[in-house]
Formats: sequence, structure tokens, C-alpha cells
Amino acid sequence: MARIELSSVTKSWGDVVAVEPTDLVIDDGELVAILGPSGCGKSTTLFMLAGIYAPSGGELRFDGAVVNEVEARHRNVGIVFQSYALYPHMNVRRNIMFPLKFKGVPAAEARRRAEETARLVQVGELLDRTPAQMSGGQQQRVALARALVKEPQLLLLDEPLSNLDATLRLSMRSEIRRLQRQLGVTTILVTHDQVEATTMADRIVCMSKGRIEQVGSVDDLFLRPKSLFVASFIGAPPINLVDARAEGGRLALPHQAVGTKAGDGDVVIGIRPENVALGAPDREGCLAATVLQVEPMGRETLYVLDSALGRLHALEHGAQRRFRDGDRVGCELPLSAMLLFDRQSGLRIEEPGLAAG
Amino acid sequence: MAATRKPDQAEWDALAARSRSEARRNQSLLIAFLVTVSLPVLLPYFWMFTISVSAKTGGVESIVLWKSSAILVPTIVGIGLVNAFVGDRMRKLYAAAAIVVAAVLAIFISIGDELHLGNYVFLHNSNFVQDLEGRRQATTESQFPSVWLAFGNSLMLASAQTVLVLFVSTLAGYYLSRFQFAGRQAFLQSLLILHAFPAMTLIIPIFLLMYWSGMLDTLTGVLLVVTTLELPFAIFIMKGFFDAVPWDIEMSALADGASRRQAFFMVVLPQVRVGMLAVGVFAFIKGFEEYVFVRTLLFDKQNWVMSLYIFWVSDDIMGVDYGIVAAVAVFYVMPSVMLYLFCQKYLVQMNIGGIKG
Repeated sequence: MARIELSSVTKSWGDVVAVEPTDLVIDDGELVAILGPSGCGKSTTLFMLAGIYAPSGGELRFDGAVVNEVEARHRNVGIVFQSYALYPHMNVRRNIMFPLKFKGVPAAEARRRAEETARLVQVGELLDRTPAQMSGGQQQRVALARALVKEPQLLLLDEPLSNLDATLRLSMRSEIRRLQRQLGVTTILVTHDQVEATTMADRIVCMSKGRIEQVGSVDDLFLRPKSLFVASFIGAPPINLVDARAEGGRLALPHQAVGTKAGDGDVVIGIRPENVALGAPDREGCLAATVLQVEPMGRETLYVLDSALGRLHALEHGAQRRFRDGDRVGCELPLSAMLLFDRQSGLRIEEPGLAAG
Repeated sequence: MAATRKPDQAEWDALAARSRSEARRNQSLLIAFLVTVSLPVLLPYFWMFTISVSAKTGGVESIVLWKSSAILVPTIVGIGLVNAFVGDRMRKLYAAAAIVVAAVLAIFISIGDELHLGNYVFLHNSNFVQDLEGRRQATTESQFPSVWLAFGNSLMLASAQTVLVLFVSTLAGYYLSRFQFAGRQAFLQSLLILHAFPAMTLIIPIFLLMYWSGMLDTLTGVLLVVTTLELPFAIFIMKGFFDAVPWDIEMSALADGASRRQAFFMVVLPQVRVGMLAVGVFAFIKGFEEYVFVRTLLFDKQNWVMSLYIFWVSDDIMGVDYGIVAAVAVFYVMPSVMLYLFCQKYLVQMNIGGIKG
């Protein structure tokens, strides 16, 4: 179990910078998710932590000791790959015992530990199968067992659930979380799936284009995103973004005059679909819109709207569908739920001071 | 949409019967085609074998050939017909076995008297040519070396070539597949060009090279030449097999504590077994059948290999005794046939993947 520190760690190949100088501290026993779209440098970061890539600059510390140059095999790190990466020519028992071979664990002891770990992840009865004879979920569990059997000081999960079907993903999510708590192993989960990150992690690191955009809890990222990127990446269906201009302490919106403390300049207004309230058309202070499409999702209903502010999404709870295609509606856009971003820098304006009038 | 009448059960049955009969007709046509094109391939081998066990000094009894062919062809056609028209698996096997038994009986009844093993005299008497021609021994040394010496030389050449080709092509293929280095692309292209290059054009320069380096008329010299010519293609094939091994399992082995070399031997190499088998079998057969370079570079009869042996036998007694030549040929072809029989199960799994740059 270890405390992991990255101080200005960077990775580049020639002129291509995959990870810009990055600072991050992960506490002992914490589960941190690195969340970002593909190509954002999250897997590169993971491989640097594993010791497969050496950082191009900066310092990587495990419990205070610099490990930049330490080879993967000496780091005692367990990885679960998206493809599981089980050794196809070995059965489950030998797969799980493989890491112990290099630690000088006596055979009998290694067998015992492999069986114990297999039981822990509930594949105790599959020990003699080969990877080809198992389902994806079972392979996933074996990969987890192989990563855990060596009692790693750091567990890395590279998109571990993305090859599983939806139901299995749900149960694996809570199971990985339970195991991680039980063993107290410091864990880093790399994913592009925000639900995976938000449900499993203590903290989320949101990355984009090789840079950390924001580190924080789910609430931080969802309610107080630091940047346009975070706001638009977190939340499904995604946040509505509307271009506007602040001038002389006012925001000009087609349906309403709004006062603001933001300085003059181009801004982007963000409002989450669940905060858009639909009602009768032609009400005071409401934005007139037309329903383009209704997407029932069981517990919720998503409306795609066409308005003077462009295309908007509105999410209503409940299965009843109050409007149909082509209906005219009035949207309430509560000022308290609006996020304001500087269009130039993409950063959120922390004190927008929005007020009607 | 216009209302269409739904077909009744009888019509469905008629459709099903039609597709069944079409499938059977197509399969029969295919089998007929395969039998027809395989006959010209099979007949020479069959004749070679028949001649070797029937011909007597002074000429070939062509009536024996005709009789045996008259049995062979109906046998093959019969087995083809059984394949096409007998549906049940067990009955198919019984029918085929019955045909084979009938064919063997027919052979013994029609030409049983003609069969003898006299032509295999060369296996224990290396003076058979003089004995045949009734000449007295001019020298104390026999004209031919023992066939076992030539056979041993051939086996040695082929095995040594197999080992060398496997060793070099595995390591080179892995390196080409996994590492980026200056000139890699050019190296790959030149491999292909080398493979396309007709080796015959190199005979004189290679002869000179062998002469000047003192390796003329040595098996080592020939071994180096044929191995070198075999290598480009073998390397290319092995690279393709390594390309198909995912990076993930290799990285996983590194994280599990293996060194790069251990990961190669314990995890990567087992995934390319089929490729190694294919390359090995082809290298062995190439070495075993090599003629042009051994004919050019070897003179001393202590260095004869089987291809030279059969050449000199036919040169000496062709026109006198076809039987012995055929018997030597049968003896010569046995190892290759055995090798294919044992390995064909794996060879047909071989799938040379796409070529990645």
C-alpha cells in the first residue's frame, strides 16, 4: 500500500507531448479514477505508474521514494487490462500463480495463495480452465486475481469494465469497490466512462489533451466544473451550452434580460438538461421552444427542443410523456442553475452574479 | 402493402427439399472436381510406389501399372461417391473401409505374384550397381557410399537448417515486430526483395565464396548457404506471427515481475508455436530436398545427401533398372511424408496475418 505522488511528471515522444507536466497526489488506500476521452493521456499516465513507460521529466514517487527509473517488475504494481491480457496458454491457476513465480514464493505456498485469491474473486471453481473456456466476466475476475495475488502496493485498472455487458458491469463495479476497501490497496482506475468513475472513485481526475482539467469529488465536477471541458464531459445527457455576450453588466438572452457581475466579453452559458423546466408556452420569462423529438428512457424522458437559443435538451423524471413531437412549450431556465464560462479561456466564471432584470 | 398468401406446410417442405438437393448436388460437383484434379497428382506417387515393389531388372512391367491403376481409380471415385451420397457418418466410414479392403484384395489377386522387395537391395548392399551389371569390383572401395550415410547427411543438413532458421527467424521476427529502429522499414522491404530474388543467379558467386573461404565440399558450407536463402521468408512469417500477439500480455508479464527476456520466453513465445512449427517444417523439407546447391558445392561421396544419391543412382542404372530408382525415391520421400502427416493438423491452423509495417 503506498502513497503515490506525481510532481510535474511528463511524457513525450519526440515532439508529441502525451502528458503535460502533471501534479497529483494519491493517498494510501484511496481509489482515484482518471477520467477522460480517448487520447487524453490517461493510459500513458497509467503505464508510467506501472513502469512500462519511463517519464520524460518530473518525479514519480511511491511513498516518497523516486521510482522514475525502477523497472516494472520491481515496482510491485498489479494491472488489470481492458483486454484482461490473460496468458492464453496457461490455465487459471497458472495465470494467477505467474506473478508469484518471480517473487520466490515456494510452489505449495503459491498454490495456496492462488486458490485463496481465486476464491476471493469467486473463480475458485474455474482453476483448471483456460482463458478461452471462460466468459468475459470470468476472465475479468481472473485478471483481477492475478493482479491482487502479489499483494501489490498499487493496483491499476485500465478500463476494466468496458468489455462487459451492462448487468455484469454493475455488479463488477461494486465488487471491485468492495475488494478495494477490504484490502485497502491504493487503486487507480482509468476510464472514459463517467458512471464508472463517479460510482467507484473517492476522487476523480478529469484529463483532456494531456492535462489535468480538474481533480475533485463527483459533486465538484458536476456542480462546480472548473472548465467548459469538464462541464461538457461530465453528465449524461450532456449539458446545454449556449453562446452569449456580457456587456455593461448585462447578458442579452432572447427571452429575458439578465444582470451579471461578469466583465465584458464572450461567454458560454451552461445549463444541465435536468434543470430545464418545461411548461405551457407564452409565459412570462420563458423561452419559447418546439419539441423536435421525444426520447423515452424508462425512468426519464428526454426532449430535444428547438429554440431561439439553438438546440436544447430537457430531461424530465418520470415515464409520463407530457409533450409530443411538434408541441410548442415554454422553457424555464433558472438562473441559479446556470454556469457561466469565459469563451476565450474555457474557464468557469466563479462569481457570475446572475440576477433577473 | 398488398396482401400475400402465406405458403402452407407442403410448400415449405418443397422449398426445404429443394435446398437440400441443391446442397447435395453442389457437394457432389465439388467432390467430382477435387477427385479429377487430384488424380494426376496422386498417380505418379502411386506408380512410383508400385514400380518400386514390382519392377524387375531389365524393364517395367507396364501391365502391372495398368492393372493397379485400374484398381486405384475406381477406388478413389468410389470413395468420392460414398462421400457424396451416404449421409450417415458411421455408414460412410464402413462403406469407405469396405471399398479399401476390396481394393487391397483386388491388388493381391491381380498382381500379387509380381510384388517383391528386391529393389530395396540398396538399403544393405552399397555395391548393388556392380552386382546388377555383373561387373567385377574394379577397386576395393564401392562405387556408391552406403545409402544410410547419404540419408544421415540429409537428415543432418535438414535438422541443422531447421534449428538455425528457427533460432534466427524467431529472434529477428520478434525484434522487427516489437522494436522501432532506424532502417526498420528498409530492412523489411529488403527481406521481401531477397525472397523474390532468384537464388540460381547466385550460384557462381556463392561457389567462389565457398572456394575462397575453404568451405567448398563441406556440409557446413552448404548448410550456411541454404539457411541464408531460407531466412528472409522465415523472418517475415515469424514477424507476422509476433505482430498478432497483443502488447497487453507482454506488458502484463512485465508488471507481474518478469524481465523482458522472461516475458519473451514464458508468455510471447508460446503464442507463436504454430508459426514456429510451420517455419520449422518448411525449413526441414527445404533442407531435405535441396538439390541445386548440394550438386554445385559438394563433390566427395562422403558428403552426398539423398538428392545426390538418387541422382547418381538414376544416372548409373536408369534404363537398366527403374525399380531401384523408384525404391530409392520412395525411401527418400518417407521422412517428408511422415513429417507432414504428424504436423498437418497444426499446419492447417496456420494463418499468416496481415502485414503491418
